[in-house]
Amino acid sequence: MIRIEDLTVAFGETEAVKHVNLELKPGEILGVVGESGSGKSVTALTLMGLISEEARITTGRILFDDVVLAEAGRPKDKALYRKYQGDRMSMIFQEPMTSLNPTWKVGRQVEETLRLHRDLSKEERRRQVLDAFTAVGLRDVEKVYGSYPHELSGGMRQRVMIAMAVILHPGLIVADEPTTALDVTIQNQIIELLRKINSEQKNTMLFITHDLNLARRICQRIAVMKDGRVVETGPTEEIFETPREAYTRRLIQAVPSRIKKTRKTENAVSPDKADNILEVRDLNVYYREGGNSLFAGKRKHCVVENATFDIKVGEILGLVGESGCGKTSLSKAILRMNKNIQGSIVCREPYPQMIFQDPYSSLNPVKTVGWLLKEPLRALGRLDPSREMTEADMEAAAYDMLRKVGMEESYFHRRPSQLSGGQRQRISIGQALITRPRLVIADEPVSALDVTMQAQIMELMLELQEELKLSYLFISHDINVIYRMSDRIMVMQRGRIVEIGDTEGVFRNPGQEYTKLLLKES
Amino acid sequence: MKKHFVKKWNRYFIIGFIMTAVAILIAVAGVFWTPYSTTAMSASEKFAAPSLAHPFGTDNFGRDILSRVMKGVGTTVLISSLVVLISGGIGILAGALTGYFGGILDEVIMRFTDAVNGFPSILLALVVISILGTGRQNVIISLAIVFVPSFVRIVRSEFIRLRDADYISRARLMGVGRVRILFVHILPNIFSTFWVSVMIGFNNAILAESGMSYLGIGVQPPDATLGKMLSDAQGYLMTAPWYALAPGLAIVWIVLGFSLLSEGIRRMQA
Amino acid sequence: MKYFAKKIITLIMTLFVVSVAAFVAFQIIPGDVVTSILGTEATPEREVQLRAQLGLDRPPIERYVNWITDVLKGDLGVSYRYSKNMNEMMPVAELIGDKLPVTLWLAAVSLGIIIVVSIPLGVLWARSRSRVADALFSVCTQVTMAVPSFFLGILVTYLFGIILKLFAPGGYVSYKEDFAGFLGYLLFPAISIALPKVAMTARFLRNSMLTEMKSDYVRTAYSKGCTDRRVMYAHVLRNALMPVVTFLGMIIAEIVAGSIVVEQVFGLPGVGRLLISSISTRDFPVVEILILYITFVVIFVYFLVDILYRVIDPRISNR
Repeated sequence: MIRIEDLTVAFGETEAVKHVNLELKPGEILGVVGESGSGKSVTALTLMGLISEEARITTGRILFDDVVLAEAGRPKDKALYRKYQGDRMSMIFQEPMTSLNPTWKVGRQVEETLRLHRDLSKEERRRQVLDAFTAVGLRDVEKVYGSYPHELSGGMRQRVMIAMAVILHPGLIVADEPTTALDVTIQNQIIELLRKINSEQKNTMLFITHDLNLARRICQRIAVMKDGRVVETGPTEEIFETPREAYTRRLIQAVPSRIKKTRKTENAVSPDKADNILEVRDLNVYYREGGNSLFAGKRKHCVVENATFDIKVGEILGLVGESGCGKTSLSKAILRMNKNIQGSIVCREPYPQMIFQDPYSSLNPVKTVGWLLKEPLRALGRLDPSREMTEADMEAAAYDMLRKVGMEESYFHRRPSQLSGGQRQRISIGQALITRPRLVIADEPVSALDVTMQAQIMELMLELQEELKLSYLFISHDINVIYRMSDRIMVMQRGRIVEIGDTEGVFRNPGQEYTKLLLKES
Repeated sequence: MKKHFVKKWNRYFIIGFIMTAVAILIAVAGVFWTPYSTTAMSASEKFAAPSLAHPFGTDNFGRDILSRVMKGVGTTVLISSLVVLISGGIGILAGALTGYFGGILDEVIMRFTDAVNGFPSILLALVVISILGTGRQNVIISLAIVFVPSFVRIVRSEFIRLRDADYISRARLMGVGRVRILFVHILPNIFSTFWVSVMIGFNNAILAESGMSYLGIGVQPPDATLGKMLSDAQGYLMTAPWYALAPGLAIVWIVLGFSLLSEGIRRMQA
Repeated sequence: MKYFAKKIITLIMTLFVVSVAAFVAFQIIPGDVVTSILGTEATPEREVQLRAQLGLDRPPIERYVNWITDVLKGDLGVSYRYSKNMNEMMPVAELIGDKLPVTLWLAAVSLGIIIVVSIPLGVLWARSRSRVADALFSVCTQVTMAVPSFFLGILVTYLFGIILKLFAPGGYVSYKEDFAGFLGYLLFPAISIALPKVAMTARFLRNSMLTEMKSDYVRTAYSKGCTDRRVMYAHVLRNALMPVVTFLGMIIAEIVAGSIVVEQVFGLPGVGRLLISSISTRDFPVVEILILYITFVVIFVYFLVDILYRVIDPRISNR
């Protein structure tokens, strides 16, 4: 039994965790759900005794089977913690690549846990590590034992991390976003594995995630955190069916769980009769191996094969697939950023624009918001003298766009570093739309955002789409986001388009095994 | 935490700033006024120990060391500034073009800078000097040649880093012209990195210039230089140890002040 | 294997480029050396004879090919300035011969000092928790890095030579007579070269360790129950040393340059002094060979560092 009582953790003056109470019953999986900055990771790291030294516990205490592990006003007892860490409590982290020591063979890294806590012979330790590897579903365990982290795939690395965490059958496992860095199909396998370990070893699990759907699938109880406080705790179904707190309700609504977009069809162009804005025929996209160096190989690597599709005026085409399936390569080819192609691309919009995933790298950090919004107009004026504008007109257009993306005029003179992630993505959208392009490619535009922000940005994109009669190629790995946004969807797997069709139709009656798999995941 | 950070930055920056300002003041003052003529010899005052009349003493010809150090600081600072100005300017231009466009030109320039970079910098300056001959102007030319590759390298790697940044891809999508992308969109973003490397370059230039004049192949007499003074002083270490101290400490002062200043700026940006 | 072949080709290419550059710089650009050897009052017959003797009457490409094949065969040419006797010119090989080991040993001893001193110092610094110790390290390295090696050499001469009388300034024993004594004489010059680099390297290692301490795998190690010591020495140090290897490789060139200057300070009979005097007397064949030689040494060390790096970093060597 683990109890966190009235825990407050402060970094200097700011309190990251405020008076948190949590109780974990033996064998249960408790989900802690919250957006970034809600204090869920700080709580977990404090529980594990891994929080950085600047942090102080200012109130409360942490109990593990009635032993006080940490308490306000008492310096951290490192020796006591070391007896628990790895042996009776262990942790699985988000990034399996960076969480493993890059210069140690993974077998030795798992073996270190045994060496620190058990007095076993070398052969016995090795045997137990290999057994643990088998138990977490790794194949060819001898080879894995002698591999370095970079030689394994993301899923394999996370299995190694799990093996390291469960090898001594600890009473408590803390999993901090263990699947966030992985692809959907792998995600599912890891969740199943954790569930299996929980039922076999009967460990208590603290499962931390930003993803309510994921928590719903694995946790018996859920605690919702916001701004360092636990706002609501309860059995999973109760939280979903009858949420008491307004914030929990908002969080649940924000999750794009198959909510169909609402369209004011009177205003929109009817996609069926409209012309195509984009026609792609038999498109192959290549990448040259080894970059542009003198020693680079002449071999080309085909990343998109035989793509054929259209986008109609006023239509949103959703493109879904796992990372590395060629989604981004396809969009770069359409935007002529990669000219290594075969086949034909006919685009009726001379200057199609793009909205990027990462709101932090897609705005030039040294410029002001106003400058950023005016720059596309200046560039267009130079390309196409008929669309040249006066400085005053550009200024007016920029203010107009700022209002359209839902931001106050006072932001006009701010720089990107003074904006939040969601605000940056709004400016980013404004920058893409200010020249009124008729085709916009949005590459995972909401993936880097928190759920509540995701919902707002999607809403904004839909509003602007109707108002400006845009067509989107909307790319995402998240099938729910795609469902919410698209008129038609297109599924890509390993560089090929495996399925394309009307959103409702594909969801109700997927034609391909791979699509079924993708749909099942979420 | 934040308070502590600012305090620390201030300390580096303020001390560095004061030291550099004093060095520059002395250098500028030395152009217009020195306590004694730098060439006035006096047999009677040969090897006078530091005193009120001669704070740093006099040398083997009875010349006032303070006056000569003031002139020497001026010479060194002027030469180093010109070297950094010239090589930094060329570095920005060449680095921007090679970094952004890549291709064969980039390959050739990089092979060249690789070769030059691997080469001890003072040695390369010596080679150039040995062909051009000694003298103030040739020292500047040879050091500028030596420092260009490192600037090209830094600017180039920054341009390579930024040319694939999302906001630059986006500028290309908007149809912004190449020159505008290079100098309006990218260049302002590399200034902080470039500034630090300029300061490091300045320090290296001071060390290289005084090293060359110490070896007797830099700026030639009658121009007073710190390196030449040191090598003259070395012969009289037994009789007049103060002779070596003043020019040596002057070099340390300039270099230390400048490196503290750049460290302060670096921390401020971090 | 493909990698090494690639590296060796690059190595040879670089040497070729440097040799062409050296040839152009010292045999084409300076113009005719005959007048500068013989003076302006020589007879035309003597000039023609010398020109033919030196091969200067041939076209440049032929001269380059002849010169480089001679160099590869071990014939390094003759000095314009030094002569054995009235009739025989001084071969460069003979001139350089016993001076080269002095410089190489000086550089090697310096590098040894840098490695032996800076690594424990850097670890100690990274481990120091007190702000006073941190500030002390910081000030010491900043000041040390600002002292040019020739001034440091003069200070060392004054302090250890003239005041403490630990060595005789200007004294020297040849490595042929007494190797231990020879190394003893190299010690203080090597310290003058090494000290600023020790400060730089220690600081670099310390920063590298602090960066590594923030990585995720350190947190994983703690989560297994590792002690601070174990995390520091078993996990962090090796990862932190990798960039230091590259850094040491990068300062090799500066060490070599430093030894050229410091030889002058301590009056050591190495190639540095020969190089400086040859430059001031415009004795180009000597300068040319010395430049080639130093370049070769530096490039070869880079090559070794690169291989070493591949051995210690599994992320690269397995590719």
